[in-house]
Amino acid sequence: MSYLLEQVLNGLSYGLVLSLIAAGFAIVFTSTGVLNFAHGSVLLLGAYLVAVLHDSIGFWPAVLVGMLGSALAGVLINAVLVRNLADKKPDTAAILMLGVDIVLLTELTRRIGNQVLTLGAPWGASVVRLGDVSLPTGRVLAAGVTIVAFAGLWYLFSRTDLGVGMRAAAADGPTASLMGIRLSRTAATGWALAGVLAAVAGIFLTSFPAPGVAPTVALSAFAAIPAWVLGGFDSVPGAVIGGLVIGLTSALVTGYEAELEPFLGRGFGEVAPYVVMIVVLLVRPSGLLGSKEAVRV
Amino acid sequence: MSAPLLSVEHLDVVYDGTITALSDVSLTVEPGQVVAVLGSNGAGKTSLLRAVSRSLQPYGGAVTGGTVTFAGRDLAGTDAADVVRRGLVQVPEGRRIFRDLTVAENLRAGGFTVRDKKARAEARDRVFDLFPILAERRDQPGGLLSGGQQQMLAMGRALMVSPQLLLLDEPSLGLAPLLVDQIGEIITEINRQGTAVLLIEQNAVMGLRVAHAASVLEIGRVTASGTAAELAASDDVQERYLGVAVPVVATEVVEAEPEIPTAEPPRRLRVEGLTVRFGGIAALREVSFTVEPGTVHALIGPNGAGKSTLVNVLGGAYRATEGAVHYGDDELTALRADEVAGLGVARTFQNISLALEDTVEDNLLVGRHRLMRRGLVPGALRLPGARREEREHRATVGGIAELLGIAHLLRTPVHTLAYGDRKRVEMGRALAARPSLLLLDEPVAGMTHGESQEMAETIRQVRRDLGLSIVLVEHDMPFVMGLAEQVTVLDFGKKIAEGTPAQVQRDPEVLRAYLGASAAGDAAA
Repeated sequence: MSYLLEQVLNGLSYGLVLSLIAAGFAIVFTSTGVLNFAHGSVLLLGAYLVAVLHDSIGFWPAVLVGMLGSALAGVLINAVLVRNLADKKPDTAAILMLGVDIVLLTELTRRIGNQVLTLGAPWGASVVRLGDVSLPTGRVLAAGVTIVAFAGLWYLFSRTDLGVGMRAAAADGPTASLMGIRLSRTAATGWALAGVLAAVAGIFLTSFPAPGVAPTVALSAFAAIPAWVLGGFDSVPGAVIGGLVIGLTSALVTGYEAELEPFLGRGFGEVAPYVVMIVVLLVRPSGLLGSKEAVRV
Repeated sequence: MSAPLLSVEHLDVVYDGTITALSDVSLTVEPGQVVAVLGSNGAGKTSLLRAVSRSLQPYGGAVTGGTVTFAGRDLAGTDAADVVRRGLVQVPEGRRIFRDLTVAENLRAGGFTVRDKKARAEARDRVFDLFPILAERRDQPGGLLSGGQQQMLAMGRALMVSPQLLLLDEPSLGLAPLLVDQIGEIITEINRQGTAVLLIEQNAVMGLRVAHAASVLEIGRVTASGTAAELAASDDVQERYLGVAVPVVATEVVEAEPEIPTAEPPRRLRVEGLTVRFGGIAALREVSFTVEPGTVHALIGPNGAGKSTLVNVLGGAYRATEGAVHYGDDELTALRADEVAGLGVARTFQNISLALEDTVEDNLLVGRHRLMRRGLVPGALRLPGARREEREHRATVGGIAELLGIAHLLRTPVHTLAYGDRKRVEMGRALAARPSLLLLDEPVAGMTHGESQEMAETIRQVRRDLGLSIVLVEHDMPFVMGLAEQVTVLDFGKKIAEGTPAQVQRDPEVLRAYLGASAAGDAAA
């Protein structure tokens, strides 16, 4: 029983980290219509900055620099590349982002080499015990920080002018600009937010129980893609639910791999999120909370 | 007199670098004035507003000559967001409210540029005074409001910045006569509170009633301007926009009769006890009526009465909760939309549904789909048979375009077309399918009186030549009354009256629910 509980708690905390990444995808998509395939390398950039800077300036200042660095990277990608695309179609932008991802990831891989950089997180490898359930402190913190981050996002989008303006701009850009909302600013804010969320996720994905910062971490952003799609391309609450579903699924399937092995074989934990995604999309083609195509005929 | 609030001088606007929308247009709005701009579809009215609000760019348009001066300052080099901060705000065509945002959030977005909390609260109170329904429904998503309420929200949203000049693009579009009167009164009230208004309105009766001055725009040029009274008295405006002149009944014989596909003979359409529910809300309640073969049958009623729902059930887009619709021996309510189309039932959409990036010709060819015999492979390989078939289909849609007066637009992408021309393309696409039953959802919304008369003539000709049945939803009463043999009136999903146009027009229940006092006066006259 406590093993099951441990797997569930692990899955939920991992799922919350995935939902941070998925929310970044969703925010960039709604604010600029771009499928941001460079999100993974932006995430890695944030974690990398923390890893190389924590010795000289201390962990918390390094975290701040990591978040700002990822945010700035997003803002620059949007301002320099996306906004200047001659052909503003979503598919063109998606290919552009694949290119950006390759360039950024190659440069970070060159710098990191084949070492695994440690993050220097003060919580180290400590573990929190609750009765007979034990969880890595990093995971508990991740859950707490993510919940605070989503509370902040909720406040931003429903209670502030900037957030309401961003939603208006996402719904209908040309009309929003008739209200005096500057689309370049809402877009930049969206990219910056996504960058900050990615950096935070990156920190939790590279601290204990994960070994540290290595180029493969960029791939973990792809693990959040099923969560994003599942929740609905354009919904932040959907991203949260999607993240939780995917996190739980992969934790449970991995946790009970021994029992599942006779009929599913090894490594099904990596496949399971996509299976869940496909099943959900068969029933709800626009995701759990995604907005449907305008169907008023 | 003081300096004008808005002064447009010798303005030229071009789209996509080549298509001229406006040339040498000049116009002024004095402080406290309401100025109306009349004109047919494609005359450049919307382009004029976009040029003033500096919002041409997302639509591929640019100002290539002339100046726009607002409150003494040249607007060259400013963008849409800047002009809002200077007190000039536009309500776009088609309302364009944020459907997923609540009413309160829509208003908040409207007041985005107002930093002073107190000023914003005052503006919101003023909006709620003007539109009490918005205060009542403040926490509901904008998408749930009816058409008239959405127009009020769009206007309220713009008023949140307490503008000096309000630009309104077709505020009465698609609204029932009763609501058109109400919107006109609101414009007058907004103006009385000190805001100047530049108004584009296809309903020239309403436009000239609320305006002090007006201009007529035709093919990108100003052809007449003066006080509203002067224009209302001019013969040309009366005939083309107000419909005061006796409608021309005799039609000239069209030379080289365009080739239109002939249809299978129409059948009787029977709607029996039709009920449609969305969740707990009944959009239609036990509606029954019959459309005799070869007749024009109109559905009228207030916004939200269930007219479009009915068309959607007939076309197979919505399912009936109870009841049935028979077309001859076939039960339409048991079929999918594509199967309904296969029986020769074609339709147009209230919220125009066209492929915007494609040309008019390609959009019309989509209508031919059910008649195309060659498959994908011969088409892709461009085999002789497939090419011949394609030529034939192109010739047919060319004829249809000629009939509808859009032949000159065949190669033009739809997104550059004005609203009324898009309506014509939709009608053409429906005709291309060689229907025996044609469902038209607001075919003349956004058209001037003259244009809607032309459209009525086209529909008469189509019916005469093809002998098809037509079911029509429309708010333009002169159009409906001149065209339909039978009228069914819906209100809150129920049938409240039925009969010939003359019978329905006199029905006290219809006057109360739909036509309103001004129509009652007309009927008495």
